[in-house]
Amino acid sequence: MKDNLILKKEALQKLIDDLLKDGVRVVAPVRAGRLVEYAPIKNHSEMVRDYINPRNAFKEFLFPQTEPIAEYRALKKGVELDGVLPKALSTVVIGSRPCDAACTASLRSVFTWGADDDPERYSDDFFTKRDTQTTVISIACLKGDEDCFCTTVGIRPDGEDGSDILLKETVKDNFMVFPSTDKGKDFIKANKKFFVNGGEDLKEIEYPQVIKGIEVDAVKRRLKKTDIFDDPVWEALAGKCIGCGACTFSCPTCHCFDIVDELSGYEGRRQKNWDACQLEYFTLHASGHNPRNIQPKRWRNRFLCKFHIYPTKFSSTGCVGCGRCIRVCPVGLDITEVMEELSADTK
Amino acid sequence: MKNREKLLRDKSRELLEKKEVDFIIGYVWGRDKKRVCPAFIKSVEEVENLVWNPMCVNNLTLYYTRKYSDVRAMGRPAIVVKGCDARCINVLIQEGQLKREDVILLAMPCEGVAYRQELYKGELTIENASPKCAVCDVNNPPLYDYVVGEKVDGNTLKASKSIYDEIGKLDETSQKDKWDFWAGHFKRCIRCYACRQVCPLCYCERCIADKNSPQWIDTSRSLQSNFAWNMVRAFHLVGRCTFCGECDRACPVDIPLNLLNQKLSLTVKENFEYRAGYDGEGHPPLIVFSPDDKENFIK
Repeated sequence: MKDNLILKKEALQKLIDDLLKDGVRVVAPVRAGRLVEYAPIKNHSEMVRDYINPRNAFKEFLFPQTEPIAEYRALKKGVELDGVLPKALSTVVIGSRPCDAACTASLRSVFTWGADDDPERYSDDFFTKRDTQTTVISIACLKGDEDCFCTTVGIRPDGEDGSDILLKETVKDNFMVFPSTDKGKDFIKANKKFFVNGGEDLKEIEYPQVIKGIEVDAVKRRLKKTDIFDDPVWEALAGKCIGCGACTFSCPTCHCFDIVDELSGYEGRRQKNWDACQLEYFTLHASGHNPRNIQPKRWRNRFLCKFHIYPTKFSSTGCVGCGRCIRVCPVGLDITEVMEELSADTK
Repeated sequence: MKNREKLLRDKSRELLEKKEVDFIIGYVWGRDKKRVCPAFIKSVEEVENLVWNPMCVNNLTLYYTRKYSDVRAMGRPAIVVKGCDARCINVLIQEGQLKREDVILLAMPCEGVAYRQELYKGELTIENASPKCAVCDVNNPPLYDYVVGEKVDGNTLKASKSIYDEIGKLDETSQKDKWDFWAGHFKRCIRCYACRQVCPLCYCERCIADKNSPQWIDTSRSLQSNFAWNMVRAFHLVGRCTFCGECDRACPVDIPLNLLNQKLSLTVKENFEYRAGYDGEGHPPLIVFSPDDKENFIK
C-alpha cells in the first residue's frame, strides 16, 4: 500500500484552485436547487461531496446540447459560409461517477469509426478534440440509490473504465489515487506536488444489488430475434410512455443530434442540437409518413439501441446503469423492468 | 385508503364484466412497490393490480387526448381521476376534444397526493404534498360517473402558506429581479418537452415547438429560445390550466412551472372571474370573442 498515491482532501481543493488559476475549465458536481449537477466551477468550495449521481451526465462537456458548426451571411450576391472550429477548452472533470465515465467509451465508438489505418475511418472533430482536451477524474461511489443498477449491467461503482484517474475515498476522508490511462499518469506528473505516497484504508463500498431476474446476455439474445420487432411486449411495457425526451437528454450514452439553420436577419448559424428518438418528429419523413408512428415503437428503438444496436455495431455498452432515465421518467417507466421481462428468454 | 382501493377494484371489475368499458386507465405498482405508475387494465384478472394511495400523482386524463391514437383505439375507458384531474376533462369537453359519454370517470375523493413520489414515506404531510393540494377545493371531484368510497371532509392539509404567497412575493419584486429569477430557471431547461408531453391540455396536432417552416422557436438550447418555449407554452395555457401541476412535477431540471401557470390563472380570475375546469359549460375566456368585451381595443 505504501507505494500508492494519496490525494489529501485539502490537496484536492488546492489542486482544483490551481487548475482554475491556470485557466483550466474544472467541471464538478455542484448544488442546483434540490438537484446536483455537473457544472464548471470557479472555486473548489462549489464542489459537493454528498451526492449519488448528478442529474446530468458530463457528456454535455464533450458533446454539448447545442453547438454551432458553421456560420453564414447572405450577401447581395450569393452566400458567405464559414466553418466553425470546435471550442475545445482544456477541461478536467472532477467527481464524475464510474458509470458516467464508462460512457465515454461508448461515445467514442459512435463519434470515431474504424481503426487508425482504415481508409474509411471517420472521426468527429468536435467530439474528438474535446475528448482529447478532457481529463476525467472519477470518485468511486460509496453507495447507490434505489435506481442505480450499474452492477446489473456489469459496471462497478469503483470501476476504472473511462476514467483517466479513479479516486477512492479513504477512512480519513482522503483519496487513494489510481491512474488508469497515460493521460491520467501525465496529469499526476504535471501536478505531482499535490500527491503524496502512502496508503490508507478505504471506505467500504455498498454495492448496488444485481437485480434478480435480469440477465443482460439473455436480453441481447432475445433482441437478436427478428420477431422481437413486432412483439406485443413493447405495447405492454411502454404503452404508458408519454414521449418526452427526459430520459434521452439525461442519458450518458444517448448521442443523437439534429442539424438546423438558425437565421437572424441576413446572418445565420448552422447548429448541431441534441435530438431524441422519443420525440414524435424524430423519424417523420418529408412525405408525412412516420415509421415510428406510436410511442411504443419509439421506446422500442431506445431499448434496441442500448442493448442490440450498440453492442452489435460498436461492441460497447449502451447502458451504464446510472439510473437517470428511471429517476426522471414522469410515468415511472423503469428500464430494468423491461430488461427483466426480456431476460425471460422463452421463445 | 385500503378500503377505497378495494372499492375501486370492485367497481372496475364490474365495469369490465358488464362491458360498460373496454379498459381502465388507472394506477399500479412498479416492481418492488418502488413507485406507482399509470397502467391500462384490459382484463378482469388485472384488476387486482389497481392501487390507490398518495403516490397516485399522475393526471391520467392525459392518455385519452388525441396525442394517444393508440390508446383511443382501445375503445371506451374508465379513467381513475382525482378532483384536479377531472377538471381537465371539463376543459377537454369545452374545447371539443371529447364528449362526456366517451369516458367513464372513476372519481376518487382525495386528501392529497405527494409532490414527488419519492418524497412520500407512508404519511402525507403539508411538506411532502403537492403544492396544488394545499389550495385544493376539489377534494371531492366536481365531475364523476362513480364516486369511489365515502366523500372526504374537504381540504384537511391545513397549509399555513401556499403557492399564492410565493406568487405574491415574486409579484412584489422589480422587473429586473423577475427577469433574473426566470432567466435563472429557464437557462436550465433542456428542452425535453416533458412539460408538454405530460399536459392533458397540450394536445395540439403539431406543437409550435415542432413547426419548422417557419421555425417559430429555435431548437437550440439557449436562454433566448428557452424563454421563447416556456413563455409560449404558458401563454397557450392561460385560462385553460387547471393546476394539475404535472408539468412542474415532470420537469427533470426543476423549473417552478406552477408559479408561472398559477400566476396566469390568478390574472384570469381577477380579470374575467373565471377558473378553468369547474364545469363543462362555456369556453375559457381567452379562446372566445365576445362583442360585449369590456376592452375597447377589440371593437
